[in-house]
Amino acid sequence: MSLPLELKTLAVDNARRSEAGDALAPLRGDSLSALEAAAFPDRKTEQWKYTSLHPLTDGHLKTQANGALPDALPTLADHRLVMSNGRLQEALSQLPEGVTLHRRARQRDELLTPFALYNGAALTDAITLEVAANTEISAPLHLLLHAASDAPAHCQTRVEVLLNPGSKLTLIEHYIGQGPVLNNAVTVIEARDNAHLTHYRLQSEREDTLHISTLLFRQTGVSRIDSYQLMGGNRLRRNDVRALLEKSGAELNMQGVFVARGQSHIDNQLCVEHRVPHCTSNQVFKGLAGEKGKAILNGRIHIHEGAMGTLAELSNKNLLLSPGAEIYTKPELEIYNDDVKCAHGATVGQLDAAQQFYLQSRGITLAEAKRMLSLGFVNELILALPDEGVARWVQPWLAGELSQYPGVNEEAA
Amino acid sequence: MLEIRDLHAAVNGKAILKGLDLTVNPGEVHAIMGPNGSGKSTLANVLAGRDNYEITGGQAILDGHDLAELEPEERAQAGLFLAFQYPVEIPGVSNMEFLKAALEAVRKAQGKEEWDSVTLLRKAREACKQVNLDAQFLKRGVNEGFSGGEKKRNEIMQMLLMEPRLALLDETDSGLDIDALQTVARGVNSLRSPERGIVLVTHYQRLLDYIVPDHVHVLSDGRIIKSGGKELALELEQKGYGWLTGEEESA
Repeated sequence: MSLPLELKTLAVDNARRSEAGDALAPLRGDSLSALEAAAFPDRKTEQWKYTSLHPLTDGHLKTQANGALPDALPTLADHRLVMSNGRLQEALSQLPEGVTLHRRARQRDELLTPFALYNGAALTDAITLEVAANTEISAPLHLLLHAASDAPAHCQTRVEVLLNPGSKLTLIEHYIGQGPVLNNAVTVIEARDNAHLTHYRLQSEREDTLHISTLLFRQTGVSRIDSYQLMGGNRLRRNDVRALLEKSGAELNMQGVFVARGQSHIDNQLCVEHRVPHCTSNQVFKGLAGEKGKAILNGRIHIHEGAMGTLAELSNKNLLLSPGAEIYTKPELEIYNDDVKCAHGATVGQLDAAQQFYLQSRGITLAEAKRMLSLGFVNELILALPDEGVARWVQPWLAGELSQYPGVNEEAA
Repeated sequence: MLEIRDLHAAVNGKAILKGLDLTVNPGEVHAIMGPNGSGKSTLANVLAGRDNYEITGGQAILDGHDLAELEPEERAQAGLFLAFQYPVEIPGVSNMEFLKAALEAVRKAQGKEEWDSVTLLRKAREACKQVNLDAQFLKRGVNEGFSGGEKKRNEIMQMLLMEPRLALLDETDSGLDIDALQTVARGVNSLRSPERGIVLVTHYQRLLDYIVPDHVHVLSDGRIIKSGGKELALELEQKGYGWLTGEEESA
């Protein structure tokens, strides 16, 4: 049996076995029908050409993850919601006033990837957070999404967030985990009129984990979303990010940093759709790859017919730290309209020899010089993070991501 | 302290230094002058260990260390400091963060007491003041958006903090107006000490009005062709280099 077919069969079997008769049953049923009709990707699938699903052949889809939460959980904000292996941990969760929690999720036609369909079809739990209209939630909400297992296993994490008209929220979507576990996650965020979301997506699982996720933004109202996405390296990281600008005046800002060191693999597939006139999107991503690390960014901007007055920008600058590292970046513009302003740029470079020598000439070792220059490369984005809790968290996290990988000899690469 | 014997060096495979001898004793200030293309900057970069600047013969010994055997950072830790002709800009790395890393590495290697962050900041502010550089520059990216003069003053500021055994200044006077030149010269003069050697690489005599050298050498085609006292610089100013090199001097 081919790998895609094998994975699909396992996924469908898992979906059929998942608990019946609860509030999630209709969603599972709809998703299962869609999943049965969908094809799992192979290397000939354009959007998967750099990412193999081979790591999943260890049997991840055969077992449900049940690894324990660590004793000490990271604390980035006063209010926290914890999901472990896809299940809400009520005892560890406390919501701010103005946010309501529902244990449900909806079928969404906008979710296209087979892994997103599989998420819906095999759900064991799901949460929807609703921010009340005309309510400003002043303190950030830390959404801690944990997955762990000692042996190959999987879990489905599902979060939906609805910002009602006039609401304001800072959400820290934070993935942690360890062991050979696949966290197959779906996050759907809808912003209605005059809503403002500040969104952080922190992906800091350990190196041995796998992460496949879909993030869907729907700006159904005149709204603003500022999203900051920080991605560490692990065995397989695949982020499908889709943003739909569906009402004139909506504004989306996405910034991101990804660091693929050691043997890490990070694949970002971004798609911003301008469906109506006069929306703005601005994307700035910076990537680093070292040793045998591999990073991919495909940035699609789709400007629909009639979406005049669109402003869309995408920049992706990357740095290769070692001869064995790989980076593939591609802006992809699809414009069906004359009256648009659209700018894009993508670069892949190396550390500057003159800068390295300057630091060395002041007594700094080459390894430390490389670390400082790597940090310097992403610092403009890191220093601009507005939330204090995240800003405090990010420095040690980034230092860890940029520290030496003693197991991989980069000079020999 | 610095002993250069029959030094040959090539840049990207092209021979530039062709048998250079130079001895610098503690407490001395040497000026190395010469026409464009004579190898002045090559000498500075070879000593500091820049990539593609290769020693092909002879030796350069600093306090018993054969420089050819040391990495650039080890040379700095051994007390060598190069003030660059064209200091590079490093956006994203703040001047302060850079100074902290440099001083930690060098002071540790030299067995000096480590400075805590309060001491470091105080010393850095003092050094800035000494070269007329606003302390705000400590927060900015290394040389990022600095004017030519600010870059040169930033080099001298670093030199004051690093307290090198041997300071090499590569065309530090180029592009400076007279006020900046005097500021830079004051900084360098404050470092003159019986423990320290200073080598000034310069094309023009005017820097030597403010930093008076003990010895002046003329470099031509990769060799020192004449050495003398400070009066040699004045003679060069009047006559140009042509009378020594036998060529028309255009600069």
